Amino acid sequence: MPEGKSDVLQGTLDLMVLKTLESLGPLHGYGIARRIEQVSGNTVSLNQGTIYPALLRLAQRGWVKAEWGTSETGRRAKFYSLTRSGRKQIEQETENWERVAATMARFLAPSN
Amino acid sequence: MDWIRVLLSLSAALFRRKKLDADLYEEMRAHIDLAIEENRARGMNEPQARNAALRAFGGITQIRETYRVQRGLPWLEQAARDIRYAVRQLRKSPGFALTALLTLALGIGAATSVFSVVDAVLLKPFSFRDPDRLVVMREAVADKAGSERFASPVNYRHFLRLRKNAATLEDATIFVQRGVSVSPDGDHPHIVGAVIASPNLFRLLGVQPILGRDFVEDDARQNSESIAILSYEGWQTFFARDPAVIGKTLRIEGRPVTVIGVLPPGPRFPQIVLAPKIAFQETARDAVLFQPLAPSERDLDADMGNFNYRAIARLKPGVTLAQGNAELEALQNAYTLSAHLPLHFGIALTPLAKDVASRVSGALWLLFAAVGAVLLIACVNLANLQLARAVNAERETAVRAALGASRGQLVRSRLAESLVLALAGGTAGTALAFGGVRLLIALAPANIPRLGEVRLSLPVLVFSGGLSVAAAIMFGMLPALRSLRVAPQAALQANSTRAANTQESHRTRSLMVAVQVACTVVLLIVTSLVLRSLSHLLRQDRGFDSSHVTLALADLYAPQYDNPGPKGNAARLAFADRALTALGQLPGVQSIALTSVTPLTGETWVDNLFRPDHPVPPGQQPAINVRWIDPNYLPTMLSRLVAGRNITAADRAHPYVALISERTAHEGFAGDNPIGRKISDIVPDDQHSVTVIGVVADTRINGLKDDAAMVYLPYWAYTPLTLSFLVRSSQPSGAVIPEMRRAIWQIDPQVAIPTLKSMDDQVSDSVAADRFQAMALSGFAAAALCLALLGVYGVLAYSVSLRRREFGIRIALGSGKSALIGLVVRQAAYPVLLGMGVGLTMAMMAVRWVRSLLYQTSVMDPLAVGCSILLLLMAAAIAAIVPARRAASTDPIRALRAE
Repeated sequence: MPEGKSDVLQGTLDLMVLKTLESLGPLHGYGIARRIEQVSGNTVSLNQGTIYPALLRLAQRGWVKAEWGTSETGRRAKFYSLTRSGRKQIEQETENWERVAATMARFLAPSN
Repeated sequence: MDWIRVLLSLSAALFRRKKLDADLYEEMRAHIDLAIEENRARGMNEPQARNAALRAFGGITQIRETYRVQRGLPWLEQAARDIRYAVRQLRKSPGFALTALLTLALGIGAATSVFSVVDAVLLKPFSFRDPDRLVVMREAVADKAGSERFASPVNYRHFLRLRKNAATLEDATIFVQRGVSVSPDGDHPHIVGAVIASPNLFRLLGVQPILGRDFVEDDARQNSESIAILSYEGWQTFFARDPAVIGKTLRIEGRPVTVIGVLPPGPRFPQIVLAPKIAFQETARDAVLFQPLAPSERDLDADMGNFNYRAIARLKPGVTLAQGNAELEALQNAYTLSAHLPLHFGIALTPLAKDVASRVSGALWLLFAAVGAVLLIACVNLANLQLARAVNAERETAVRAALGASRGQLVRSRLAESLVLALAGGTAGTALAFGGVRLLIALAPANIPRLGEVRLSLPVLVFSGGLSVAAAIMFGMLPALRSLRVAPQAALQANSTRAANTQESHRTRSLMVAVQVACTVVLLIVTSLVLRSLSHLLRQDRGFDSSHVTLALADLYAPQYDNPGPKGNAARLAFADRALTALGQLPGVQSIALTSVTPLTGETWVDNLFRPDHPVPPGQQPAINVRWIDPNYLPTMLSRLVAGRNITAADRAHPYVALISERTAHEGFAGDNPIGRKISDIVPDDQHSVTVIGVVADTRINGLKDDAAMVYLPYWAYTPLTLSFLVRSSQPSGAVIPEMRRAIWQIDPQVAIPTLKSMDDQVSDSVAADRFQAMALSGFAAAALCLALLGVYGVLAYSVSLRRREFGIRIALGSGKSALIGLVVRQAAYPVLLGMGVGLTMAMMAVRWVRSLLYQTSVMDPLAVGCSILLLLMAAAIAAIVPARRAASTDPIRALRAE
């Protein structure tokens, strides 16, 4: 594994996907994967394929829905978009994540 | 509810696997294509672009596997695999599968059928508004000694006061329930069930007419007899569901009655018994018409007497039965004191559903317990079979364990087999139950309440589903757990049959046989007690002879007859005389008689015995049943006169004479010679007292279980509105019946004949409930016995087949045949005797509960208990003898060579 890249933390991929769909609107799997790579500044080591089980998980929970459509280049592809409960979920997950992050930060802060 | 959606999509995935796989493939290709395009746009050439795209994507196969796991339901797929395996295993041994399936299907079918009846009759709430708050209200009167209280019908005045003052009651309704004659289109009338109730009846029940209007309070004040509301069934029968029925008329008891409303189809008005002692075989009809009740003057001013009514009350929300009882009891007590009533009145409230079912609930629960026992025995049998199979399959189990099957998988695959069997058996059983329910309804006595509502409904189907799963767990658990304990090494090393013949598995199976035997003993004893009771009921001395007697009941409720006062009485008397003459002239008639009440329909016309020469404090006079007869009654029924003389034609001029039964003599004239003594206040609307001229032997004319105190009076003094004609003829009843009908209708075609049958049939119908119970129990007991026999046989036969080598050696060493037979029989005797002991103990407890269902039969009846034990021992002996003989006839050479 190249220096400076980290594995995707369990559970964070879901939030990344949801957040991507929130800001970009309906998008196909490739687009989502690229966006995550770009936003993370290529610091996340992501096998692009792993996005698909994650998308399936989100679809099963009813947070995203999928539809076949056509890409900007005319290729047939499956487009994912947020559902109403998906939007709610983002709020909740964000809150969770911030709490975890804050807790971790407190642990990692130099003790005084 | 997230998990539901996940589960749904997961299980959907199971069935659309191909389509979904193709979908994923297409999606991944799109991904790679899009990546290639972007890479090329960045300036890579084709192969570079493709390589980069694939690299970035990661392992395609891995992704696909993760995706599939996420998509599918691993345990569901596993379960499907287990079930497929189980089905394959079962098909490999069709004999076992078929036996198991049939046993279960019969067991579950029988249990479901009986439960359908239990559900409709005992459990299902009435479809009235808040049925839990409806209670049947009766007055409670202390008996002479003051120790025991018995429920009595309600007095109108008492009812009005309670309804007005009770704070715990929301409302209450008072009514009469009886048969009335209806003659549609001038045809001969027939009798239908009617309820004549205070106008608030339907508001109290929460039922609204679907056509027309409900009763209003004014209906009870005027024209109450000329309006009626029809039940849905009545609307169908009399008006073929004519939507314009409102305002049309129907002839009821000879008078035109206007239909003002029609009830919805759902709720049927139940039969409420007047008092617990009164059987109402004759009036056991669903109410099809309702009329408002207008109280008579006597109803309104009599505090003592006229206890003629039934009443239903609705408790206020949150009020318990005990609170209602307590308040009404206090009100009654206070009134008894303030009005200086000679009797002490209390109250008896019972929940409506419980009251309606009270006469049959014991018998029905007994049937249900019996069918449950049969099912239990069947399950134990199957468990035994399954256990034997599991032991046989030990080697295979060991191989699977050695190849890495987890314990969970091993248990699951055994349980799956039971589950498949149970579900198949349950389905077949439910199908059988459809037929079983029909059979039960056809066989059941008509006076079981709410029988018309019996059907396979959702709760029943849930019940049978639950039953099959429970059965699966019951007979699958033991073998499944056993497969856990198999040590693969030991099982693989040992010869499979030797591994099976462990002491422990033998003990388990013997124990199960003991359980079966115990259940069977209980069932046999209960059944033989019930049979003994029935046979006693049918064979005891009744004091009358029913053979060759045919019975016709004429119902005279019509304007010319039911006119109160001398005019009506004269018309009835004339009818009775003409009918007696006409019936007496029928061919083959040896004797013709008349009585006011159809025999075997319970206690009716209950009065108190007043003796002018021997006054007793009010309320302490013995209760008597009054019957109006003619001089031929005793000779026709072949009843015995014990003392004095019979009524004769010479008494007609001065008809104030009476016959009393021995019990009346004993209770009312203790120590005195009753002949020549007077009885007062017994003839309606007449101040004459009557003179006792004879004593008749006690008869069970009200019911075979009932020997009430009777007073017989000549019909010349008073002719009642119902006349039962009894014809003793040399011709069979089948020939007499049409003749009697013709003769009666020749006199008056507008007289209803609700009962016309042989007296033997009447006797038999009066014990229909007992016979049904005995019949059903016998069926279940026979099934239990067969299953137990199979169980004993199965275990012995299996064990003998496993021990062939041992028997071979024993024979080779000089053991005699009888010794071997003894060995096997002893092996059988152990669990059978153990089970019998346990069964006898259990029966001791069970019969205490059955006691109330028995008629003059001791629960320790030696014949019943002895026969049961003998029967079981015989069955066990039959089951043991075949395997024992097989053991004894083992060929030592072949047995030793076989392995």
